[in-house]
Amino acid sequence: MKKEKDLKINRRSFLKLTSGVAIASGLNLPKKAFAASEKQVSTLIDLSLCDGCVDRKIPACVSACKTINKDKIPQIIDPIPEPWPRKTIEDWSKKRDVVNRLTPYNFIYVHKAEVNVAGQKKNIFVPRRCMHCDNPACATICPFSANHKNKNGAVVIDQEFCFGGAKCRDVCPWGIPQRQSGVGIYLNVLPGLMGNGVMYKCDLCVERLADNKLPGCVEACPREAMLIGTRSAIKKVAESRARRMNGYIYGKAQNGGTSTLYVSPVPFEEINKTMTKKPGQPDMKVDVQRKMADTDTIGKAALAAPVLGIAAVGIVGVWNWLSNRKDKAGKEE
Amino acid sequence: MTEKILSEKNLVVRHSILELIEHWAIAISGLVLFLTGMFELPMSKRYYISSLPGMGWSTDYMTSLYLHYAAAIIFTAAAIFHILYHGLRKEKGLLPQNGDFSASITVIKSLFGFGEEPPMHKYLPEQRLAYVGMAFIIFMLIVSGLVKTYKNIYAPDMSLTVVLWATWIHNIFFILFFLAFLAHMAAIVLKPNWPMVRGIFTGNVRLDYARHRHPLWLAEIEPVEKASVEVIEEKQALPVSIEVPAIEGIEKEDLPPGQTKSDGDKE
Repeated sequence: MKKEKDLKINRRSFLKLTSGVAIASGLNLPKKAFAASEKQVSTLIDLSLCDGCVDRKIPACVSACKTINKDKIPQIIDPIPEPWPRKTIEDWSKKRDVVNRLTPYNFIYVHKAEVNVAGQKKNIFVPRRCMHCDNPACATICPFSANHKNKNGAVVIDQEFCFGGAKCRDVCPWGIPQRQSGVGIYLNVLPGLMGNGVMYKCDLCVERLADNKLPGCVEACPREAMLIGTRSAIKKVAESRARRMNGYIYGKAQNGGTSTLYVSPVPFEEINKTMTKKPGQPDMKVDVQRKMADTDTIGKAALAAPVLGIAAVGIVGVWNWLSNRKDKAGKEE
Repeated sequence: MTEKILSEKNLVVRHSILELIEHWAIAISGLVLFLTGMFELPMSKRYYISSLPGMGWSTDYMTSLYLHYAAAIIFTAAAIFHILYHGLRKEKGLLPQNGDFSASITVIKSLFGFGEEPPMHKYLPEQRLAYVGMAFIIFMLIVSGLVKTYKNIYAPDMSLTVVLWATWIHNIFFILFFLAFLAHMAAIVLKPNWPMVRGIFTGNVRLDYARHRHPLWLAEIEPVEKASVEVIEEKQALPVSIEVPAIEGIEKEDLPPGQTKSDGDKE
């Protein structure tokens, strides 16, 4: 059983804990070792600790994320070219201050859930952002591979290559990526006929990780409700905390597994009841199957197709040999 | 040997059943791959394709991917079979020969009424060149497609460099495949090629057409046929081998050493 003191570690000591090599060597470089390695990382969001920063105008995680990414989107072209034939334009450039949903300018928001627990009303605050799935369909079937899962588990959209077709949003069970029209490579190709901007979402602050910094939201959380560490360590902490609070974990199995684990003292079914899936506001259904899993079996058959071709040569070869032998025997008779 | 002259029907067998199966397996699965590949781009909803009757499925990327994989099984297996089977049998009729490029220009000019068409083999010189081009496109599509499939199933965090190469090769050769398909169809539109079209459906082309346009091919088949006919007409007692009349009257020194030796052995 995990000792109670292990559960009270703060963010920085947690990082030290998860960067075993640095600790073993006695070096005071835990973050460097952590960031430089290609070890898969996970994040933990403890809903028993998050209070939604009710005393602030904007939750600290949201505010930090906005500050870090404020210059991410270049100047939007004016006027934005009208796509043809469907004339959908998504322009958030004049609504950059929106913080109650995901937008191209807002990669995290906090949902307030009023839930009933044992007859008592309780407020649960749920920070929502990209889950960084283990096998993210948004990345694997991006037609231009502009979206990719890094070795450390972060799923990152390359805004230089993204055409903004929003396929990633369509295949994401939570509809996370958000489109900004009037920006990106599509403007240099056929803006009226293909592409429609760039998709934006949380990238787990990969650049900050590479610079030995914590993701903005993790660093900014005043209640240390968010943690980042190696996948195995985060899993252990999540399970331990869930046991301690007799609570629940979300993100471990959903969509085939993710790098984000929520721990909650309230069942996620109850939390989900307070959520209505809308654009930029994902719900939290417990049963989230990885849709692409349905294609895995036939995909494996496709990988084996060269063997099938070789086997067919063998079969036809044997057939020909038998036919020739029969013909020969017939002629001799 | 598949190719043979059916004089009484005025036909020549141009393709075996196996070759027809290979062609149509690649053609049909290739078209399914092309269509489902298109629907992997976010175009169905944008271009209202999903509003067309029976096309609702086209917005579902997973359905398209499933069909894409299914067609890829046939496409890949047929392509591997084709290369291996005909390679092992050393059937090289579709491989380019020296001078095919200039001969192609002569043939194409003649199709538009400029100059005379040279006598041709079973395949036209531009067919041989197009074959190699199409084979290369198919090879690149298969290899890049398999890498992408492996990534989708087993390695979503595969090296980005490899993923980008596979993706862009797949996308570029997807366009080339379409252009090659258009060129293939354009060849059918040209009237002098019409008699060949029945060949890819039935396996046979008209003998008079082949005699007129593919004399070099018929020359490869006809000596055998003629020899057989002569043997039957003369009602020889021992028409065992068609080689016997064929080498009669030829001096031994005119024959290749191997054949001379073989004759000697027979004696």
